[in-house]
Amino acid sequence: MDFSFSEDQKMFQETLRDFLTAEHTSATIRELWDSETRRSSELWQQLCEIGIMGLLVPEEYDGMGMDEVDLVLCLEEMGTHAFAEPVIPTLVGTRLLADLADKSLAQEWLPKVAGGEAILAVQYPESPFVQDAHVANLLILQKDGELHALTPDQVKLTRQDSNDPSNCLFSVDWTPSADTLIAQGEEAAKLSAEAFDRGALAAAAQLLGCGQRMIHMACEYASERKQFGVFIGTFQAIKHMCSNAQVQVEYVRPAVYRAAFSLANNSVNRSVNVSMAKLAAGEAAHTASRVSMQVHGGQGYTWEQDLHLWMRRAWSLDLAWGSKQMHSQRIASIVIDQGVPTAPLGESWLA
Amino acid sequence: MKILVYLKQVPHQDARLDISSDGTWIEESNIKFEINSYDTYALEEALKAKDSEGAEVVVVTAGQDRVTQALRTALGMGADRAIHIKDEAVDASDVLGVAKVLAAVAKEESPDLILTGLMSEDSGFAAIGPMIGEFAGIASTTAVVGIEREGGKLTVERELEGGNLEVVEINTPCLVSVQTGINQVRYASLKGIMQAKKKTIDVKTAADLGVGDAISPKLTTEKVSVPVKGETAELVEGSTDEIAAKLAAKIKELGLL
Repeated sequence: MDFSFSEDQKMFQETLRDFLTAEHTSATIRELWDSETRRSSELWQQLCEIGIMGLLVPEEYDGMGMDEVDLVLCLEEMGTHAFAEPVIPTLVGTRLLADLADKSLAQEWLPKVAGGEAILAVQYPESPFVQDAHVANLLILQKDGELHALTPDQVKLTRQDSNDPSNCLFSVDWTPSADTLIAQGEEAAKLSAEAFDRGALAAAAQLLGCGQRMIHMACEYASERKQFGVFIGTFQAIKHMCSNAQVQVEYVRPAVYRAAFSLANNSVNRSVNVSMAKLAAGEAAHTASRVSMQVHGGQGYTWEQDLHLWMRRAWSLDLAWGSKQMHSQRIASIVIDQGVPTAPLGESWLA
Repeated sequence: MKILVYLKQVPHQDARLDISSDGTWIEESNIKFEINSYDTYALEEALKAKDSEGAEVVVVTAGQDRVTQALRTALGMGADRAIHIKDEAVDASDVLGVAKVLAAVAKEESPDLILTGLMSEDSGFAAIGPMIGEFAGIASTTAVVGIEREGGKLTVERELEGGNLEVVEINTPCLVSVQTGINQVRYASLKGIMQAKKKTIDVKTAADLGVGDAISPKLTTEKVSVPVKGETAELVEGSTDEIAAKLAAKIKELGLL
């Protein structure tokens, strides 16, 4: 069994890397923080022209009909660049609309998503707030086990504070009605569960990239900063800290990729794999941020340093799509209470 | 309309460059490569013509297996087909030999226009464009920052020293080497990358093109080295007049005037 990514998947990542390196620098992030929406329609349009937002859209709706394995390296790259545009909710909403029994919403909205004309926001039960509701053209909200789709004129938004200015959270006042109802009962539960796992996977992949970037920042700084006449990176204390953080990130990588495979193939272990990936990615990013902060010394705390842009991103991603506690409890519940084995690889992996 | 675009794969701008063990080039084994940025502008210019006039865009490069990645990227950006000159003799040749091979491609393809970057970021000769034009028997112009086409004639703006521009008219077929910044280079799209798999990459040797005997190198690289850091920097201090006087004295002392 070949676990390596295909040349195409690697080229997707490289293309996105080239784009983000050129168009989404730390200066861009700081500019966006000072903007009203903290989002860039230009960046979004370019991202859609590259084709990222059409990746999960089925081909019959002008998309590429690909899956999470094709997507995961791109998500990781977004984390590497602290790219906070509403990619996760739109991707989650895309699959949700595509999987609805009633295809009318998919027909109306998915070609627009692929073409960069629509942004989706998705509420999940673990959070009282909805991410990027202010720029969404369609909001998929949950109440009493039902899924509802609403347009911006049907909701009232109140912005919420966040440690990460890139994290745009809103409380949403809305009234469910028969006109807004899109799924209920078993269908709603299934779609909601899949949407949550997809969001958690995307957050885990971005955390992975975010953590890796903070280690790179630490190494770069340790290769430039001199103390006692030598680069601080030559001190074992620094080397060991960076190495330990990198080891933790390397252990997360296969967990995230396995979770992507689980979602793409609807594995029986999908939820536990996603939770393990999200949990491990959050912890690795936390370690990376702590180590990088220490390596940077006093400078790491200053606003002028870029490190905090990634630290804040890691904090908000860690809290999004299920907290550590929630994912820990879910793993315990699935593995211990339900006795579902966390099979490594092989036939039992696939549903 | 057919446009040939010559591009070169060069070390990635972020790659760490170490001197190879034989001291004649850089160590290439563990670094990433990318399309020479000058050539990406040439490619974009060709793709713009494809968008507006439906031109066929053919990308050409020479090198080892790794250069197919550059061709795939170009195909992903929208080029129609690619030609890969894969020949160890070409790799071992010099700029003159490579120009002869690439000119042979031009003769075989008979394009209306050839576009390439002004220079490569690794060797920086800025010579291959005019050489190809000469060997292919067509007019060429360099350092172009603007192109307008009307019928069988191009009106191009050339960048000169001191921020000056020169406007040149040139009949097609011709070769134009472009300066960076002439356009906004597009990114490859994911759909384009998928479609690129179905596009053709023709592999050819110098012998296939009939120039196998004409490319032995006339130029040999003796040594590649990192400039030695000097330790003779002298800080000139004092008032402006004093500094000027000291500098003038120093320049005279060193015999620079």
